Amino acid sequence: MQTHLADFIKDSAAGQEADAILRKCTHCGFCLANCPTYRLLGDELDSPRGRIYQIKQVLEGEAPTESIQLHLDRCLTCRACETTCPSGVEYGRLADLGREIVEEQVPRRGLQRWVRTGLRTVLPRPRLFGTLLTMGRLTRPLVPGPLRKKIRPRRPAPAWPSPSTHSRFVLMLEGCVQPALEPPINPQTARLMDELGIAVKRTTEVSCCGAIDQHLGASEAAKARIRSNIDAWWPHIEAGAEAIVVNASGCGAQVKDYGHLLADDPDYAEKAARVTALAIDPIELLERHADQLAPADDAPRRVAFQTPCTLQHAQKLNGRVDALMARIGFDMTPVPDAHICCGSAGTYSVLQPKMAEQLRTQKLENLNTGEPQVIATANIGCLTHLDEASEIPVRHWLELIKVA
Amino acid sequence: MTGTDQSEALRERVADAAEQGEALSITGSGSKHFYGNPVQGSALDIRAHRGIISYEPTELVLTARAGTPIVEIEEALTAEGQRLAFEPPQFNGGGTLGGVVAAGLAGPRRPYGGAVRDMVLGLRLINGRGELMRFGGEVMKNVAGYDVARLNTGALGTLGVITEVSLKVLPAPAARVTLEVEADPTQCHDLSEQWLRNGRPLSGMIHDGERLYARFEGTTSAVDDAVAAIDGKALEPAAADAFWQSIRDQRHAFFAGDEEPLWRISLPPASDPTVYGERFLIDWSGQQLWLRGHPEPHNLRARAAAEGGSATLFRGRIDGVDAFPPLDAVQARLHRNIKKAFDPHGILNPGRLYPDAEVS
Amino acid sequence: MPAHALFRDEDLRFDVDVDPLIDALRQVLPEEGLIVHEAGLRAYECDGLAPYKQLPRLVVVPETIEQVQTVLRLCHEAGVPVVTRGSGTSLSGGSLPHPQGVLLAMGKFNRIREIDHHRRIARVEPGVRNLAITEAAAPYGLYYAPDPSSQIACSIGGNVGENAGGVHCLKYGLTVHNVLAVKVITMEGELTTIGSESLDSPGLDLLALMHGSEGMLGVIVEVTVKLLPNPLTKQVLMASFADVESGGHAVAGLIARGIIPGGLEMMDGAAIQAAEDFVQAGYDTDAAAILICELDGSEAEVADQLKAVDECLRDHGATRIQVAADDEEKARFWAGRKAAFPAVGRISPDYYCMDGTIPRKQLAYVLRRISEISAAEALETVNVFHAGDGNLHPLILFDGNQPGQLEAAERVGSAILQLCVEVGGTVTGEHGVGVEKINEMCVQFAGAEIEQFHGIKAAFDEKGLLNPGKAIPTLNRCAEFGRLHVHNGELPHPELERL
Repeated sequence: MQTHLADFIKDSAAGQEADAILRKCTHCGFCLANCPTYRLLGDELDSPRGRIYQIKQVLEGEAPTESIQLHLDRCLTCRACETTCPSGVEYGRLADLGREIVEEQVPRRGLQRWVRTGLRTVLPRPRLFGTLLTMGRLTRPLVPGPLRKKIRPRRPAPAWPSPSTHSRFVLMLEGCVQPALEPPINPQTARLMDELGIAVKRTTEVSCCGAIDQHLGASEAAKARIRSNIDAWWPHIEAGAEAIVVNASGCGAQVKDYGHLLADDPDYAEKAARVTALAIDPIELLERHADQLAPADDAPRRVAFQTPCTLQHAQKLNGRVDALMARIGFDMTPVPDAHICCGSAGTYSVLQPKMAEQLRTQKLENLNTGEPQVIATANIGCLTHLDEASEIPVRHWLELIKVA
Repeated sequence: MTGTDQSEALRERVADAAEQGEALSITGSGSKHFYGNPVQGSALDIRAHRGIISYEPTELVLTARAGTPIVEIEEALTAEGQRLAFEPPQFNGGGTLGGVVAAGLAGPRRPYGGAVRDMVLGLRLINGRGELMRFGGEVMKNVAGYDVARLNTGALGTLGVITEVSLKVLPAPAARVTLEVEADPTQCHDLSEQWLRNGRPLSGMIHDGERLYARFEGTTSAVDDAVAAIDGKALEPAAADAFWQSIRDQRHAFFAGDEEPLWRISLPPASDPTVYGERFLIDWSGQQLWLRGHPEPHNLRARAAAEGGSATLFRGRIDGVDAFPPLDAVQARLHRNIKKAFDPHGILNPGRLYPDAEVS
Repeated sequence: MPAHALFRDEDLRFDVDVDPLIDALRQVLPEEGLIVHEAGLRAYECDGLAPYKQLPRLVVVPETIEQVQTVLRLCHEAGVPVVTRGSGTSLSGGSLPHPQGVLLAMGKFNRIREIDHHRRIARVEPGVRNLAITEAAAPYGLYYAPDPSSQIACSIGGNVGENAGGVHCLKYGLTVHNVLAVKVITMEGELTTIGSESLDSPGLDLLALMHGSEGMLGVIVEVTVKLLPNPLTKQVLMASFADVESGGHAVAGLIARGIIPGGLEMMDGAAIQAAEDFVQAGYDTDAAAILICELDGSEAEVADQLKAVDECLRDHGATRIQVAADDEEKARFWAGRKAAFPAVGRISPDYYCMDGTIPRKQLAYVLRRISEISAAEALETVNVFHAGDGNLHPLILFDGNQPGQLEAAERVGSAILQLCVEVGGTVTGEHGVGVEKINEMCVQFAGAEIEQFHGIKAAFDEKGLLNPGKAIPTLNRCAEFGRLHVHNGELPHPELERL
């Protein structure tokens, strides 16, 4: 596509990256097909192609408007469009850049501003979030509607494995909201690793991966967080950590992007690239040990797997978890439109509750097509979002397996 | 190739008629003179304008002048192992290419092999202003301009005098068989679906009220498989061919005699074809019903329309009853406008399709 | 922007104050269903033919048939043009907005009304994606046959408007062969159903006329299509050739043996490379051309055909034949072909996709001339070809950011289309005329034919409000184009006064 980037950006690194992405777009429209919001709204402005066009206008010097902001807000950044795009347009990067510029120039008003600031303040801080969640659980009936549904009863967690003498060890990102929302996931991940002879070195000073800031148009705040995470991990990496296991695929996608995000930072570029190289989703490690895995004793066998967008479109690991689970003895039920987002999308379900609910309803209908007993997923966001409305339990898939 | 080009003479004749406001009745071999509403007009005979202009088997395209007898075209195709997919009728052994296209009538193979319009790639046409024009072409895919070629297929010469047609032709299959099957007339759709979904190369299905006749045409293996899988009695090949021709050309006993009108009812799939009358012949897996007798025309048409079908008075005239069922107001207006656009003086086969459409 | 004016004076005769219309539309449309601000209009300024851009006066995004009727009635009364848009994937600028008009975006009409598997009929709204019909029919073992390469995104309403083809249409037909009925709203706002669930309907074949009419005759608000049973089995093979000509002969060879494959596609070396980069399908990137051939039918039939095809292709010089090992590989073989146009975005910033159809025997000559024509403008061409039916898709590569390249690409395109007419073919096989090939229509049709087209248009839309300036050139346009393009001293349409 022809481009004429404006002076304010054309010579910057970001501008050149955006130009290269825009020029790959041939305006073919294939992306419309798999865009959750276009499917719901049928308006070009709510399609990837339409958003690219709106971002392009801003990059070409048009003043951003509230309308553009609205349509960018509605984007889930699920990146299904990237999987569909034959020309290789990296929409996600363009969307982040576009949001940043629009965010700078179009001030948020009233409640919207506070909600976004609140999300960016609370979510990445596990202790604060945990405290608020506990309070919320106690005062649930008093909490306003949309948030009330997000407050889940606490499920008991297994114990963390006792400190081991395994020579192999990995790091693990425990995440910001996950420990409070679904306490079993992290210790369960560590136990599986431990039983496979791999120790998990806990780095509790690392919590949020930076994705929340990143996708709410605050890339500098995100970068600060990334640098601090790298600093915390670095001594362990130097000590021989094999990998950084990220059991929430949303966070995994972000950590795998550190190398790109800090590529222009002379102090961190190399370290960030190393972190990116080490970051893995649990499936990448566990599928190498498939022979030692089995369904957990109490796990139902008929499972629908909900592939998070960050797992399939960002990390490009589509089909891998399903394949492993089928191989070790689960009966995986068919899921139509598995490539379409469930509506969770990080903070989306809070910021765009109506769209998120519509998408969830469709997703649950599709997940229940084959009458599963449980829905498995690989991302905390999808898990809590789906579980709010699902009649059958929704679990992280790692909770359904054991080392035989 | 053979034949002579009379298109300029025909064009002049039409141009003169346009000037005089003289109605023309376009004729070929006259094999379908009974079809449609009667036309008052001077005869415009196209039979001298005949001959195959080009035929290239590997391009799957044949182009011929409108007056070419359809028999001649079929002979040329047979010589190259090809054929017309839509199995056009040859009433009284006649029929010209122009008439086949103008009437748009297809034989028993139509639901499985395609309609006349499906195979028309292009044509030349003299409109009611005496202008000779070419639409479509000799290639398989062509979306340049409105599809005037298909619009004229089945228009019964009311929009123009067709002078030349290019058709898509197809290889003839290696094998064929006809099975006589015990089945109820209401089973046509279900059996047809069962066979088609199992990959049986069905190419004709008739129920005469007593028995069902199914024709399969395809590769030897596919035809053999069909015979093995279906419980039925295979007809002798010559008898089978004669049977399908008798249906196609309406020489079968059902069509004999002209004391009762012949109705043609086009039906959506899975309709019950037995509710329309006593004397019927079911064709096209139940989607074309031939009916004899004296049904009340308005009720018959209303009933067919309610189902999503239509009833045509195919042979035999009834006072006050048009050959074709009425159109809704919007489409009646579109018909009148289109007629006017092609034939502003209303000289081409006036009234043959719709009397109202001819009012200028 | 293209060298020639998109719209001519006579296409721009609708200079009306649209403010009262906007006020009236606001009463009937949902809040977000009316777009008048420039940033919003901008996203609708082009379709799949991106170099051609035009802002509409306003965009409407209706939700119901009644709303569409009201929009059309109001526009008819006000004398404001209407351009209908589905998914905006047209490669000929068919849904390029009109500067004085309304762009009617049908994206919200995306519901499948009914899948009647017993009768093999689907009734869908016009914004439903082509592939979505097949997906909805799949649980019943059925599919919708026409499969244009953009089938993942293109809408069925647009498919009717363009009479879309695809890679299986030699055997299974174009859109016109697979649609049973359409619900249409006239420019006056009246609703009528053209066609029926039966195999034919009384009167003139208006259903055929609607196909390929490029939104000039009415607005389609519902489409009824027939579904086909999935073939019992399919096999896909890929044959490599050292030159395109041998591939062309191989196709004629197959047809001479009475084989009509379900799909038969050819790609040249550059197209193979681009597609392979996207799908990693195992395309033979050393070949000068590959032929993708799909056979379908019963096990025995396919086995017989496979043997015959293999023999025939080898006889015609195939250097390598790969048979898909499983369903996934079959899908991958096709995925590369279907994504071939936009995949070219990986090797060139812009491309211009042509769509001529030629008699197949002319293939070698036409391809040689295409490479000469593009070489003369210092541009490269990539060729993708529906080999079975002679529909050629040369993709002219250019860089819109380099001054003069778009204009050069257009000159190459125009010359290629005229070449197609010269060898007995047509300027468009399946993408439509739109604004892109409107000048070349003057080469293919004589004045009387063009006037006849205008007569048909007027029969449906007397005021000429539906998609003005598309598909059918005015004689004035032809006169001007003729003056620009004089061949051997002969002017097309000499009867016209030169401008």
